Amino acid sequence: MKRYLLIIIIIFGISSIVLSNQQSVIDRSVFKNPQRSSALFNHDDHNEKAELEDCAICHHVYEDKKLVEGESSEDDSCSSCHTLKRTEKNIISIRTAFHKRCKRCHFKVSKGPVLCGECHIK
Amino acid sequence: MNMHTFIDFIMGEMVIVSFVIFIAGTCGRLLWTFIHINKTENFIFSYLSFKYSLRSILAWLTPFLPVSSRKKPFFYSISYTFHILLFIVPIFLLSHITLFEEYLNWSWISINDTSADILTIIVILCTLFFVTRRVVVKEVKYITRTSDFVFIIIASLPFITGFLAYHQLFAYKIIMIAHVISGEIMLILIPFTRFFHMFIAPIIRAYTGSEFGNVRGAKDW
Repeated sequence: MKRYLLIIIIIFGISSIVLSNQQSVIDRSVFKNPQRSSALFNHDDHNEKAELEDCAICHHVYEDKKLVEGESSEDDSCSSCHTLKRTEKNIISIRTAFHKRCKRCHFKVSKGPVLCGECHIK
Repeated sequence: MNMHTFIDFIMGEMVIVSFVIFIAGTCGRLLWTFIHINKTENFIFSYLSFKYSLRSILAWLTPFLPVSSRKKPFFYSISYTFHILLFIVPIFLLSHITLFEEYLNWSWISINDTSADILTIIVILCTLFFVTRRVVVKEVKYITRTSDFVFIIIASLPFITGFLAYHQLFAYKIIMIAHVISGEIMLILIPFTRFFHMFIAPIIRAYTGSEFGNVRGAKDW
């Protein structure tokens, strides 16, 4: 009985580590040939630490290159607007959108990673 | 000033300051050079020719066309490789282009990180070769001064720190800061040191090429 309990605990332990690891990086499947590791990011942990309540800070909505106040876009992926390459309609590529979104804020509040290797761990 | 403000400064305003000093310094020194030539040796303009200038510049830009380069193929192959990669690697590095796009919304084609990594190692090996050569080869050692080593080190530092930063070896943050600053120092020093040979070389070729082609009717390579 003790042995079974131990096995269950180990399986639970491993799966929780695997699951928590899956959540703590950015989904980079949009990139065709990514050169760096996925950026570290845990949505819930980050927002709790940063005390963010307003989803629209990141999940914003732009129309005709103007921010639409009071609207948010949690249900859409970033890449649905920020395409791989810059276009007439979307002037910020997905790569730049990610970098700017994280770094500009981190510089502003003097907290969080700002250098390449602080997010893209080898 | 906290760490974030400092990093923001060296990766933001300081980059602009470095480029302004580099460009203004280069224009200033070129202007000063031409004024100086005009004052002391203005006879040069009597035979200066666009055709022979260009002929000489192109001849010396073509690897292993000049006789002197063919006499020392080993040394020149290393020298050519070093000088070409000194520009290719930083200009077409994905991380640099990524930063450019963030700040100025410009981007251009890049080399992939693995290739850039190998090319960086080649640059570092080339600088090691130059240092060793100045210590080991007798006739080179004879004319070597301390400043020769200093400038090789200044040119190699952005590559050494860049390599360490890419592989995240040792104290990442400090190495990354050293990488940014060493690159900026390199850029700032170009107009005021012997790194300026990148701009003076074509002027010397124009002068020599014109004299050989237009006056002596000979090749200068």
